[in-house]
Amino acid sequence: MGTTSDYDWYILFPNHHEGLRLNSELKQRGIKNTIAPTPRAASKSCGISLIVLEQDLPVINQLIEEQRINIEKIVQLPAIKNWKFRGC
Amino acid sequence: MADYHQMWIDLGMDVDKHEALCEVLPEAFGGVYLSQENRPQGMDFYDFVVSEIHGVRPSELIKHQETGGKVFGTFCVYVPDEVVFAAGAIATGLCGGSQFWVPGGEKVLPANTCPLIKASVGARLDKTCPFFMIADMFVGETTCDGKKKAWEILAQDVPVHVIDIPQMKREKDIAAYQQEIMDFIKVVEDFTGNKVTPEALAESIKLINNKRKTLQRIYNARKASPVPISGKDALLVTQIAFYDDPTRCAEMGNKLADELEERIARQEGVFPADAPRILITGTPMAIPNWKLHHIIETAGAAVVVEELCTGTRYFENLVDESATTIEGQVRALAERYMKTNCACFTPNPGRIEDVVRLAKEYNVDGIIDTNLQFCNLYSTESYLVKQKLDELGIPVLHIETDYSENDFEQLRTRVEAFLEILRK
Repeated sequence: MGTTSDYDWYILFPNHHEGLRLNSELKQRGIKNTIAPTPRAASKSCGISLIVLEQDLPVINQLIEEQRINIEKIVQLPAIKNWKFRGC
Repeated sequence: MADYHQMWIDLGMDVDKHEALCEVLPEAFGGVYLSQENRPQGMDFYDFVVSEIHGVRPSELIKHQETGGKVFGTFCVYVPDEVVFAAGAIATGLCGGSQFWVPGGEKVLPANTCPLIKASVGARLDKTCPFFMIADMFVGETTCDGKKKAWEILAQDVPVHVIDIPQMKREKDIAAYQQEIMDFIKVVEDFTGNKVTPEALAESIKLINNKRKTLQRIYNARKASPVPISGKDALLVTQIAFYDDPTRCAEMGNKLADELEERIARQEGVFPADAPRILITGTPMAIPNWKLHHIIETAGAAVVVEELCTGTRYFENLVDESATTIEGQVRALAERYMKTNCACFTPNPGRIEDVVRLAKEYNVDGIIDTNLQFCNLYSTESYLVKQKLDELGIPVLHIETDYSENDFEQLRTRVEAFLEILRK
Protein backbone atom coordinates (compact mmCIF):
# COMPACT_ATOMS: atom_id res chain seq x y z
CA MET A 1 0.00 0.00 0.00
CA GLY A 2 2.98 2.23 -0.36
CA THR A 3 3.54 2.46 3.40
CA THR A 4 6.93 2.85 4.96
CA SER A 5 6.13 0.37 7.73
CA ASP A 6 8.38 -2.64 8.22
CA TYR A 7 5.36 -4.93 8.20
CA ASP A 8 2.21 -5.41 6.18
CA TRP A 9 -0.96 -6.71 7.78
CA TYR A 10 -3.10 -9.11 5.79
CA ILE A 11 -6.64 -10.17 6.69
CA LEU A 12 -7.51 -13.60 5.29
CA PHE A 13 -11.03 -14.94 4.69
CA PRO A 14 -12.74 -18.30 4.28
CA ASN A 15 -14.16 -17.09 0.95
CA HIS A 16 -14.10 -14.00 -1.25
CA HIS A 17 -17.64 -12.93 -0.28
CA GLU A 18 -16.51 -12.21 3.27
CA GLY A 19 -13.46 -10.36 1.98
CA LEU A 20 -15.56 -8.16 -0.25
CA ARG A 21 -17.98 -7.50 2.61
CA LEU A 22 -15.20 -6.19 4.82
CA ASN A 23 -13.70 -4.24 1.92
CA SER A 24 -17.05 -2.54 1.41
CA GLU A 25 -17.53 -1.77 5.11
CA LEU A 26 -14.04 -0.32 5.39
CA LYS A 27 -14.47 1.78 2.27
CA GLN A 28 -17.75 3.22 3.60
CA ARG A 29 -15.89 4.32 6.71
CA GLY A 30 -12.88 5.67 4.83
CA ILE A 31 -10.53 3.10 6.35
CA LYS A 32 -7.65 2.38 4.03
CA ASN A 33 -7.48 -1.19 2.72
CA THR A 34 -6.25 -2.89 -0.41
CA ILE A 35 -7.49 -6.07 -2.02
CA ALA A 36 -4.52 -8.32 -2.70
CA PRO A 37 -3.77 -11.89 -3.72
CA THR A 38 -2.96 -13.82 -0.55
CA PRO A 39 0.80 -14.25 -0.23
CA ARG A 40 1.96 -17.84 0.01
CA ALA A 41 3.77 -16.97 3.22
CA ALA A 42 0.37 -16.29 4.77
CA SER A 43 -1.58 -19.25 3.45
CA LYS A 44 -1.31 -22.19 1.07
CA SER A 45 -4.71 -21.34 -0.33
CA CYS A 46 -5.37 -18.75 -3.02
CA GLY A 47 -7.77 -15.89 -3.13
CA ILE A 48 -8.22 -12.42 -1.81
CA SER A 49 -6.89 -10.91 1.33
CA LEU A 50 -7.05 -7.32 2.53
CA ILE A 51 -3.94 -5.34 3.35
CA VAL A 52 -4.66 -2.88 6.16
CA LEU A 53 -2.69 -0.45 8.27
CA GLU A 54 -1.55 -1.53 11.70
CA GLN A 55 -3.01 1.54 13.40
CA ASP A 56 -6.47 0.70 12.03
CA LEU A 57 -6.49 -2.86 13.40
CA PRO A 58 -8.42 -2.10 16.63
CA VAL A 59 -11.28 -0.44 14.77
CA ILE A 60 -11.21 -3.10 12.05
CA ASN A 61 -11.41 -5.88 14.63
CA GLN A 62 -14.35 -4.14 16.22
CA LEU A 63 -16.06 -3.82 12.86
CA ILE A 64 -15.47 -7.49 12.07
CA GLU A 65 -17.19 -8.37 15.31
CA GLU A 66 -20.08 -5.94 14.92
CA GLN A 67 -20.81 -6.91 11.32
CA ARG A 68 -20.20 -10.60 11.99
CA ILE A 69 -17.75 -10.91 9.13
CA ASN A 70 -16.02 -14.25 8.99
CA ILE A 71 -12.31 -13.97 8.73
CA GLU A 72 -9.76 -16.72 8.77
CA LYS A 73 -6.91 -14.89 10.42
CA ILE A 74 -4.85 -11.72 10.48
CA VAL A 75 -1.25 -12.17 9.42
CA GLN A 76 1.71 -9.88 9.85
CA LEU A 77 4.37 -10.23 7.15
CA PRO A 78 7.62 -8.34 6.61
CA ALA A 79 7.03 -5.57 4.05
CA ILE A 80 8.90 -6.11 0.81
CA LYS A 81 11.39 -3.29 0.44
CA ASN A 82 13.20 -2.39 -2.78
CA TRP A 83 11.28 -5.02 -4.69
CA LYS A 84 13.10 -6.26 -7.75
CA PHE A 85 10.92 -6.95 -10.75
CA ARG A 86 9.79 -10.49 -11.07
CA GLY A 87 7.32 -11.56 -13.69
CA CYS A 88 4.78 -14.33 -13.20
CA MET B 1 -9.33 -19.17 2.28
CA ALA B 2 -11.11 -20.17 -0.88
CA ASP B 3 -9.84 -23.57 -1.88
CA TYR B 4 -10.05 -24.24 -5.58
CA HIS B 5 -7.86 -27.33 -5.53
CA GLN B 6 -10.71 -29.73 -6.07
CA MET B 7 -11.97 -27.70 -9.01
CA TRP B 8 -8.50 -27.72 -10.55
CA ILE B 9 -8.17 -31.48 -9.99
CA ASP B 10 -11.58 -32.04 -11.57
CA LEU B 11 -10.42 -30.03 -14.57
CA GLY B 12 -7.48 -32.38 -14.98
CA MET B 13 -4.94 -29.72 -14.13
CA ASP B 14 -1.40 -30.41 -12.99
CA VAL B 15 -1.96 -28.84 -9.57
CA ASP B 16 1.59 -29.33 -8.38
CA LYS B 17 3.02 -27.45 -11.32
CA HIS B 18 0.26 -24.85 -11.10
CA GLU B 19 1.28 -24.26 -7.49
CA ALA B 20 4.48 -22.58 -8.69
CA LEU B 21 2.40 -20.00 -10.56
CA CYS B 22 0.19 -19.39 -7.53
CA GLU B 23 3.29 -18.73 -5.52
CA VAL B 24 4.73 -15.96 -7.67
CA LEU B 25 1.53 -14.09 -8.52
CA PRO B 26 1.00 -12.34 -5.16
CA GLU B 27 4.53 -10.98 -5.07
CA ALA B 28 4.54 -9.89 -8.72
CA PHE B 29 1.13 -8.24 -8.46
CA GLY B 30 2.10 -6.57 -5.21
CA GLY B 31 5.34 -5.28 -6.66
CA VAL B 32 3.89 -4.03 -9.93
CA TYR B 33 0.40 -2.91 -8.92
CA LEU B 34 -0.11 -2.49 -5.21
CA SER B 35 3.06 -0.44 -4.87
CA GLN B 36 1.40 2.37 -6.86
CA GLU B 37 0.15 5.46 -5.02
CA ASN B 38 -3.27 7.06 -5.23
CA ARG B 39 -4.91 4.42 -7.39
CA PRO B 40 -8.59 4.93 -8.22
CA GLN B 41 -10.85 3.10 -5.77
CA GLY B 42 -12.53 1.46 -8.74
CA MET B 43 -9.40 -0.61 -9.23
CA ASP B 44 -10.53 -2.67 -6.23
CA PHE B 45 -12.63 -4.77 -8.55
CA TYR B 46 -9.70 -5.52 -10.84
CA ASP B 47 -7.45 -6.31 -7.88
CA PHE B 48 -10.14 -8.72 -6.77
CA VAL B 49 -10.27 -10.38 -10.20
CA VAL B 50 -6.50 -10.89 -10.20
CA SER B 51 -6.55 -12.16 -6.63
CA GLU B 52 -9.10 -14.80 -7.61
CA ILE B 53 -7.95 -15.16 -11.20
CA HIS B 54 -7.96 -18.95 -11.37
CA GLY B 55 -10.94 -19.28 -9.06
CA VAL B 56 -13.99 -17.04 -9.39
CA ARG B 57 -14.33 -16.68 -13.17
CA PRO B 58 -13.44 -20.33 -13.88
CA SER B 59 -16.13 -21.31 -11.32
CA GLU B 60 -18.65 -19.19 -13.22
CA LEU B 61 -17.70 -20.81 -16.52
CA ILE B 62 -18.02 -24.29 -15.01
CA LYS B 63 -21.44 -23.39 -13.63
CA HIS B 64 -22.46 -22.32 -17.13
CA GLN B 65 -21.26 -25.68 -18.48
CA GLU B 66 -23.16 -27.55 -15.78
CA THR B 67 -26.37 -26.07 -17.14
CA GLY B 68 -25.49 -27.24 -20.66
CA GLY B 69 -23.71 -24.09 -21.82
CA LYS B 70 -20.53 -24.09 -23.89
CA VAL B 71 -17.36 -22.03 -23.47
CA PHE B 72 -15.28 -20.88 -26.43
CA GLY B 73 -11.68 -19.86 -25.91
CA THR B 74 -10.34 -17.15 -28.22
CA PHE B 75 -6.93 -15.66 -28.93
CA CYS B 76 -7.49 -12.63 -31.10
CA VAL B 77 -9.46 -9.41 -31.47
CA TYR B 78 -10.67 -10.54 -34.91
CA VAL B 79 -12.83 -13.30 -33.43
CA PRO B 80 -16.43 -11.99 -33.23
CA ASP B 81 -17.50 -12.74 -29.66
CA GLU B 82 -20.99 -11.55 -30.65
CA VAL B 83 -21.63 -14.85 -32.45
CA VAL B 84 -20.68 -16.92 -29.41
CA PHE B 85 -22.90 -14.99 -27.00
CA ALA B 86 -25.78 -15.01 -29.48
CA ALA B 87 -25.79 -18.81 -29.24
CA GLY B 88 -26.04 -18.68 -25.45
CA ALA B 89 -22.37 -19.60 -25.07
CA ILE B 90 -19.53 -17.68 -23.41
CA ALA B 91 -16.35 -16.46 -25.08
CA THR B 92 -13.24 -16.07 -22.97
CA GLY B 93 -9.80 -14.83 -23.88
CA LEU B 94 -7.04 -17.42 -23.70
CA CYS B 95 -3.84 -15.62 -24.67
CA GLY B 96 -0.93 -16.52 -22.46
CA GLY B 97 1.12 -13.66 -21.06
CA SER B 98 3.23 -15.53 -18.55
CA GLN B 99 6.80 -16.77 -18.84
CA PHE B 100 5.67 -19.61 -16.60
CA TRP B 101 3.91 -21.26 -19.56
CA VAL B 102 6.67 -20.73 -22.13
CA PRO B 103 8.75 -23.87 -21.44
CA GLY B 104 5.61 -25.99 -21.89
CA GLY B 105 5.14 -24.49 -25.34
CA GLU B 106 8.80 -24.98 -26.20
CA LYS B 107 8.36 -28.72 -25.80
CA VAL B 108 6.47 -28.80 -29.09
CA LEU B 109 7.22 -25.47 -30.80
CA PRO B 110 10.41 -24.14 -32.37
CA ALA B 111 12.44 -21.93 -30.05
CA ASN B 112 12.03 -19.02 -32.46
CA THR B 113 8.27 -18.82 -31.87
CA CYS B 114 6.85 -15.76 -30.13
CA PRO B 115 6.30 -16.06 -26.37
CA LEU B 116 2.57 -15.44 -26.68
CA ILE B 117 2.12 -18.56 -28.80
CA LYS B 118 4.51 -20.60 -26.69
CA ALA B 119 2.73 -19.58 -23.50
CA SER B 120 -0.71 -20.27 -24.96
CA VAL B 121 0.26 -23.75 -26.12
CA GLY B 122 2.19 -24.43 -22.91
CA ALA B 123 -0.74 -23.43 -20.70
CA ARG B 124 -2.90 -26.06 -22.37
CA LEU B 125 -0.41 -28.87 -22.80
CA ASP B 126 1.06 -28.47 -19.32
CA LYS B 127 -2.47 -28.25 -17.89
CA THR B 128 -1.63 -25.28 -15.69
CA CYS B 129 -4.40 -22.81 -16.51
CA PRO B 130 -8.08 -23.49 -15.71
CA PHE B 131 -9.34 -21.34 -18.58
CA PHE B 132 -7.44 -23.49 -21.09
CA MET B 133 -8.91 -26.61 -19.49
CA ILE B 134 -12.47 -25.30 -19.32
CA ALA B 135 -12.90 -24.07 -22.90
CA ASP B 136 -14.90 -26.62 -24.87
CA MET B 137 -13.62 -25.29 -28.17
CA PHE B 138 -10.69 -23.07 -29.10
CA VAL B 139 -11.25 -20.51 -31.83
CA GLY B 140 -8.05 -19.78 -33.70
CA GLU B 141 -7.36 -17.47 -36.60
CA THR B 142 -4.77 -16.92 -39.29
CA THR B 143 -3.12 -13.73 -38.07
CA CYS B 144 0.39 -15.19 -38.16
CA ASP B 145 2.22 -18.30 -39.31
CA GLY B 146 3.16 -19.38 -35.80
CA LYS B 147 -0.46 -19.42 -34.69
CA LYS B 148 -1.60 -21.28 -37.81
CA LYS B 149 0.69 -24.17 -36.99
CA ALA B 150 0.00 -23.98 -33.26
CA TRP B 151 -3.71 -24.63 -33.92
CA GLU B 152 -2.81 -27.91 -35.58
CA ILE B 153 -0.92 -29.01 -32.48
CA LEU B 154 -3.66 -27.86 -30.11
CA ALA B 155 -6.30 -29.56 -32.27
CA GLN B 156 -4.79 -32.90 -31.23
CA ASP B 157 -5.89 -32.09 -27.70
CA VAL B 158 -9.05 -29.96 -27.94
CA PRO B 159 -11.62 -29.09 -30.64
CA VAL B 160 -10.34 -26.11 -32.64
CA HIS B 161 -12.09 -23.98 -35.23
CA VAL B 162 -9.91 -21.64 -37.27
CA ILE B 163 -11.30 -18.44 -38.76
CA ASP B 164 -9.48 -17.46 -41.94
CA ILE B 165 -8.63 -13.77 -41.51
CA PRO B 166 -7.99 -12.03 -44.85
CA GLN B 167 -4.52 -10.57 -45.31
CA MET B 168 -5.66 -7.58 -47.38
CA LYS B 169 -8.55 -5.14 -47.06
CA ARG B 170 -10.10 -5.03 -50.50
CA GLU B 171 -13.88 -5.31 -50.82
CA LYS B 172 -13.53 -8.97 -51.76
CA ASP B 173 -11.54 -9.55 -48.57
CA ILE B 174 -14.29 -8.01 -46.44
CA ALA B 175 -16.78 -10.23 -48.28
CA ALA B 176 -14.56 -13.24 -47.59
CA TYR B 177 -14.44 -12.41 -43.87
CA GLN B 178 -18.22 -11.99 -43.93
CA GLN B 179 -18.46 -15.55 -45.24
CA GLU B 180 -16.06 -16.71 -42.51
CA ILE B 181 -18.42 -15.25 -39.91
CA MET B 182 -21.36 -17.06 -41.53
CA ASP B 183 -19.35 -20.30 -41.35
CA PHE B 184 -18.48 -19.56 -37.73
CA ILE B 185 -22.15 -19.12 -36.91
CA LYS B 186 -22.82 -22.60 -38.30
CA VAL B 187 -19.94 -24.07 -36.26
CA VAL B 188 -21.18 -22.40 -33.08
CA GLU B 189 -24.78 -23.46 -33.73
CA ASP B 190 -23.77 -27.08 -34.31
CA PHE B 191 -21.51 -27.15 -31.26
CA THR B 192 -24.00 -25.54 -28.87
CA GLY B 193 -27.21 -26.87 -30.38
CA ASN B 194 -28.58 -23.33 -30.25
CA LYS B 195 -29.74 -21.26 -33.20
CA VAL B 196 -28.24 -17.81 -33.71
CA THR B 197 -31.34 -15.73 -34.37
CA PRO B 198 -31.33 -12.11 -35.57
CA GLU B 199 -32.84 -11.10 -32.21
CA ALA B 200 -30.11 -12.87 -30.23
CA LEU B 201 -27.38 -11.49 -32.46
CA ALA B 202 -28.80 -7.98 -32.12
CA GLU B 203 -28.66 -8.39 -28.33
CA SER B 204 -25.10 -9.63 -28.32
CA ILE B 205 -23.97 -6.88 -30.70
CA LYS B 206 -25.32 -4.39 -28.16
CA LEU B 207 -23.70 -6.32 -25.31
CA ILE B 208 -20.23 -6.22 -26.84
CA ASN B 209 -20.67 -2.64 -28.07
CA ASN B 210 -21.47 -1.62 -24.50
CA LYS B 211 -18.24 -3.18 -23.34
CA ARG B 212 -16.39 -1.28 -26.06
CA LYS B 213 -18.07 2.01 -25.11
CA THR B 214 -16.99 1.52 -21.50
CA LEU B 215 -13.38 0.95 -22.46
CA GLN B 216 -13.57 3.98 -24.75
CA ARG B 217 -14.74 6.07 -21.78
CA ILE B 218 -11.84 4.89 -19.64
CA TYR B 219 -9.36 5.58 -22.40
CA ASN B 220 -10.86 9.01 -23.07
CA ALA B 221 -10.17 9.88 -19.45
CA ARG B 222 -6.51 9.16 -20.09
CA LYS B 223 -6.37 12.11 -22.48
CA ALA B 224 -6.47 14.42 -19.47
CA SER B 225 -3.44 16.02 -17.90
CA PRO B 226 -2.60 15.09 -15.22
CA VAL B 227 -3.66 11.59 -16.19
CA PRO B 228 -6.15 10.17 -13.64
CA ILE B 229 -5.12 6.52 -13.95
CA SER B 230 -1.81 4.82 -14.53
CA GLY B 231 -1.06 2.96 -17.73
CA LYS B 232 -0.54 -0.17 -15.67
CA ASP B 233 -4.05 0.04 -14.25
CA ALA B 234 -5.62 0.81 -17.61
CA LEU B 235 -3.79 -2.14 -19.14
CA LEU B 236 -5.11 -4.40 -16.40
CA VAL B 237 -8.67 -3.24 -17.09
CA THR B 238 -8.29 -4.11 -20.77
CA GLN B 239 -6.62 -7.44 -20.06
CA ILE B 240 -9.45 -8.45 -17.74
CA ALA B 241 -12.07 -7.34 -20.28
CA PHE B 242 -11.05 -10.35 -22.39
CA TYR B 243 -12.06 -12.76 -19.62
CA ASP B 244 -14.82 -11.16 -17.69
CA ASP B 245 -18.56 -11.35 -18.16
CA PRO B 246 -19.28 -8.53 -20.67
CA THR B 247 -22.17 -7.08 -18.67
CA ARG B 248 -20.14 -6.93 -15.46
CA CYS B 249 -17.17 -5.61 -17.41
CA ALA B 250 -19.26 -2.67 -18.64
CA GLU B 251 -20.79 -2.07 -15.22
CA MET B 252 -17.50 -2.03 -13.32
CA GLY B 253 -15.73 -0.16 -16.10
CA ASN B 254 -18.36 2.58 -16.08
CA LYS B 255 -18.01 2.95 -12.30
CA LEU B 256 -14.28 3.36 -12.80
CA ALA B 257 -14.84 5.84 -15.64
CA ASP B 258 -17.17 7.88 -13.39
CA GLU B 259 -14.41 8.10 -10.82
CA LEU B 260 -11.81 9.05 -13.42
CA GLU B 261 -14.05 11.82 -14.73
CA GLU B 262 -14.47 13.13 -11.18
CA ARG B 263 -10.70 13.08 -10.79
CA ILE B 264 -10.31 15.05 -14.01
CA ALA B 265 -12.78 17.66 -12.73
CA ARG B 266 -10.62 17.97 -9.60
CA GLN B 267 -7.43 17.93 -11.71
CA GLU B 268 -6.27 14.94 -9.71
CA GLY B 269 -3.71 12.70 -11.33
CA VAL B 270 -1.42 9.79 -10.62
CA PHE B 271 1.60 11.44 -12.24
CA PRO B 272 2.71 15.08 -12.20
CA ALA B 273 1.28 17.05 -15.12
CA ASP B 274 4.75 17.42 -16.59
CA ALA B 275 5.54 13.69 -16.60
CA PRO B 276 6.36 12.46 -20.12
CA ARG B 277 3.28 10.95 -21.80
CA ILE B 278 3.95 7.73 -23.67
CA LEU B 279 2.01 5.85 -26.34
CA ILE B 280 2.82 2.16 -26.65
CA THR B 281 2.22 0.47 -29.98
CA GLY B 282 2.95 -3.05 -31.14
CA THR B 283 2.14 -6.59 -30.12
CA PRO B 284 -0.46 -7.56 -27.51
CA MET B 285 0.28 -7.72 -23.79
CA ALA B 286 -1.72 -10.65 -22.49
CA ILE B 287 -2.22 -10.92 -18.74
CA PRO B 288 0.08 -11.02 -16.70
CA ASN B 289 2.55 -9.29 -19.01
CA TRP B 290 3.09 -5.95 -17.25
CA LYS B 291 6.85 -5.66 -17.79
CA LEU B 292 7.14 -2.71 -20.14
CA HIS B 293 4.50 -0.61 -18.40
CA HIS B 294 6.29 -1.21 -15.11
CA ILE B 295 9.63 -0.10 -16.55
CA ILE B 296 8.18 3.06 -18.08
CA GLU B 297 6.07 4.12 -15.12
CA THR B 298 8.66 3.43 -12.45
CA ALA B 299 10.97 5.65 -14.51
CA GLY B 300 8.52 8.52 -13.98
CA ALA B 301 6.64 8.57 -17.29
CA ALA B 302 2.95 7.85 -17.79
CA VAL B 303 1.68 5.40 -20.37
CA VAL B 304 -1.45 7.20 -21.58
CA VAL B 305 -2.58 4.98 -24.45
CA GLU B 306 -1.86 1.58 -25.98
CA GLU B 307 -2.28 1.03 -29.71
CA LEU B 308 -2.33 -2.70 -29.09
CA CYS B 309 -4.75 -5.61 -29.30
CA THR B 310 -4.84 -5.18 -25.51
CA GLY B 311 -5.63 -1.53 -26.11
CA THR B 312 -7.43 0.56 -28.68
CA ARG B 313 -7.62 -2.20 -31.29
CA TYR B 314 -9.89 -4.12 -28.94
CA PHE B 315 -12.60 -1.50 -28.58
CA GLU B 316 -12.30 1.23 -31.22
CA ASN B 317 -15.15 1.17 -33.76
CA LEU B 318 -18.59 -0.10 -32.86
CA VAL B 319 -20.71 -2.57 -34.79
CA ASP B 320 -23.64 -0.88 -36.54
CA GLU B 321 -26.72 -1.97 -34.55
CA SER B 322 -29.35 -1.11 -37.14
CA ALA B 323 -29.40 -4.36 -39.17
CA THR B 324 -32.27 -6.75 -38.49
CA THR B 325 -31.31 -9.78 -40.56
CA ILE B 326 -28.46 -12.20 -40.00
CA GLU B 327 -26.96 -11.23 -43.36
CA GLY B 328 -27.09 -7.53 -42.50
CA GLN B 329 -25.71 -8.09 -39.02
CA VAL B 330 -22.87 -10.24 -40.31
CA ARG B 331 -22.02 -7.56 -42.86
CA ALA B 332 -21.94 -5.00 -40.04
CA LEU B 333 -19.69 -7.29 -37.99
CA ALA B 334 -17.35 -7.83 -40.95
CA GLU B 335 -17.11 -4.10 -41.61
CA ARG B 336 -16.33 -3.34 -37.96
CA TYR B 337 -13.73 -6.05 -37.45
CA MET B 338 -11.99 -5.28 -40.72
CA LYS B 339 -11.43 -1.71 -39.53
CA THR B 340 -8.98 -3.08 -36.96
CA ASN B 341 -5.43 -2.60 -38.14
CA CYS B 342 -3.09 -5.51 -37.44
CA ALA B 343 0.34 -6.00 -38.97
CA CYS B 344 -0.91 -9.23 -40.54
CA PHE B 345 -2.47 -7.09 -43.30
CA THR B 346 -0.62 -5.80 -46.32
CA PRO B 347 -0.44 -2.96 -46.86
CA ASN B 348 -1.35 -1.72 -43.40
CA PRO B 349 -1.25 2.10 -43.51
CA GLY B 350 -4.26 2.26 -41.18
CA ARG B 351 -2.17 1.23 -38.18
CA ILE B 352 0.35 4.01 -38.71
CA GLU B 353 -2.50 6.47 -39.21
CA ASP B 354 -3.98 5.23 -35.93
CA VAL B 355 -0.67 5.71 -34.12
CA VAL B 356 -0.33 9.27 -35.42
CA ARG B 357 -3.95 10.12 -34.63
CA LEU B 358 -3.72 8.68 -31.11
CA ALA B 359 -0.43 10.50 -30.50
CA LYS B 360 -2.26 13.76 -31.17
CA GLU B 361 -5.46 12.87 -29.30
CA TYR B 362 -3.56 11.82 -26.19
CA ASN B 363 -0.96 14.58 -26.53
CA VAL B 364 1.95 12.16 -26.21
CA ASP B 365 5.59 13.14 -25.91
CA GLY B 366 7.01 9.93 -27.29
CA ILE B 367 6.14 6.52 -28.65
CA ILE B 368 7.49 3.12 -27.73
CA ASP B 369 7.00 0.61 -30.51
CA THR B 370 7.38 -2.82 -28.96
CA ASN B 371 7.13 -6.27 -30.35
CA LEU B 372 7.39 -9.68 -28.85
CA GLN B 373 10.47 -11.58 -29.83
CA PHE B 374 10.13 -13.44 -33.14
CA CYS B 375 7.02 -11.53 -34.20
CA ASN B 376 8.19 -10.98 -37.73
CA LEU B 377 5.11 -8.97 -38.75
CA TYR B 378 5.32 -6.24 -36.13
CA SER B 379 9.10 -6.24 -36.15
CA THR B 380 9.18 -5.61 -39.88
CA GLU B 381 6.41 -3.02 -39.74
CA SER B 382 8.42 -1.09 -37.15
CA TYR B 383 10.53 0.23 -40.05
CA LEU B 384 7.49 1.93 -41.55
CA VAL B 385 6.25 3.12 -38.15
CA LYS B 386 9.59 4.77 -37.43
CA GLN B 387 9.83 6.25 -40.92
CA LYS B 388 6.49 8.04 -40.50
CA LEU B 389 7.15 9.18 -36.94
CA ASP B 390 10.59 10.51 -37.90
CA GLU B 391 8.95 12.44 -40.70
CA LEU B 392 6.54 13.99 -38.21
CA GLY B 393 9.22 14.63 -35.61
CA ILE B 394 7.62 12.35 -33.01
CA PRO B 395 10.29 10.59 -30.89
CA VAL B 396 10.10 6.81 -31.10
CA LEU B 397 11.93 3.93 -29.48
CA HIS B 398 11.65 0.43 -30.92
CA ILE B 399 12.19 -2.50 -28.63
CA GLU B 400 11.87 -6.24 -28.93
CA THR B 401 11.34 -8.26 -25.80
CA ASP B 402 9.77 -11.37 -24.31
CA TYR B 403 8.16 -12.37 -21.02
CA SER B 404 11.37 -13.17 -19.17
CA GLU B 405 13.22 -10.97 -16.71
CA ASN B 406 16.52 -11.42 -18.56
CA ASP B 407 16.43 -8.12 -20.42
CA PHE B 408 14.71 -6.10 -17.68
CA GLU B 409 17.70 -3.95 -16.71
CA GLN B 410 18.79 -3.50 -20.31
CA LEU B 411 15.30 -2.33 -21.25
CA ARG B 412 15.16 -0.03 -18.27
CA THR B 413 18.39 1.62 -19.34
CA ARG B 414 17.07 2.13 -22.87
CA VAL B 415 13.72 3.47 -21.68
CA GLU B 416 15.36 5.84 -19.19
CA ALA B 417 17.66 7.17 -21.91
CA PHE B 418 14.64 7.69 -24.17
CA LEU B 419 12.79 9.53 -21.40
CA GLU B 420 15.81 11.75 -20.84
CA ILE B 421 15.60 12.82 -24.47
CA LEU B 422 11.90 13.59 -24.07
CA ARG B 423 12.51 15.66 -20.97
CA LYS B 424 15.06 17.92 -22.72
